[in-house]
Amino acid sequence: MTRSLKKGPYVDERLYMRVEKLNQQNKREPLKTWRRACTIVPEFIGHTFKVHNGKGFIDVFVTEDMVGHKLGEFSPSRSFKGHTNKKEGVAAA
Amino acid sequence: MPRIVGVDIPDKKPIRYAIRYIHGIGPTNGEAILQRCGIEPMKRANQLSETEVASIAALIDAEFLVEGALRRQISQNVQRLKDIRSYRGDRHRKGLPVRGQRTRSNARTRKGKKKTVAGKKGVKAK
Repeated sequence: MTRSLKKGPYVDERLYMRVEKLNQQNKREPLKTWRRACTIVPEFIGHTFKVHNGKGFIDVFVTEDMVGHKLGEFSPSRSFKGHTNKKEGVAAA
Repeated sequence: MPRIVGVDIPDKKPIRYAIRYIHGIGPTNGEAILQRCGIEPMKRANQLSETEVASIAALIDAEFLVEGALRRQISQNVQRLKDIRSYRGDRHRKGLPVRGQRTRSNARTRKGKKKTVAGKKGVKAK
């Protein structure tokens, strides 16, 4: 089910402020964040986020096409390395 | 047999059903088109007059995305998801369900026919 339009997109305020601060100083530096649920807004374009995936941080460089998606969509939290193989043990990933 | 938008050749069925043979026209759009063209829905497709066929074709051309153009748009949307390396794009790439469905069982539409693994629980090796 889609989010109610009445509420508008969920954008984490503190993360947004951090981005705005960088924008004002015209600076670009990776932002470490755990806010996977935060929607990507146009102000984020060109920034790199280090998005936590439960284990480490994945670099996400935000492009125009990503607006409207959420940060977590670009930081996979599961890794599938293939099924086990009887003869060779674990299959090559 | 009337031809509407390119190669679509609906047959002797009532036009209300025949029109759905066009990719992108389902029940809702079909009824709307007929109503706006002022065509009796139960009239057989082969009994439509030239002008009626032309009016349907003109309306579809003007306002609906059908056939190749529609397919192109859909694949472009999927391609976009793949290009931005989003989770959904990844699922499309792997041929698994995209909207969070379970894959432990079912999901056969996306995964295709069963591939039996020998030696797995309950499966006798051949």
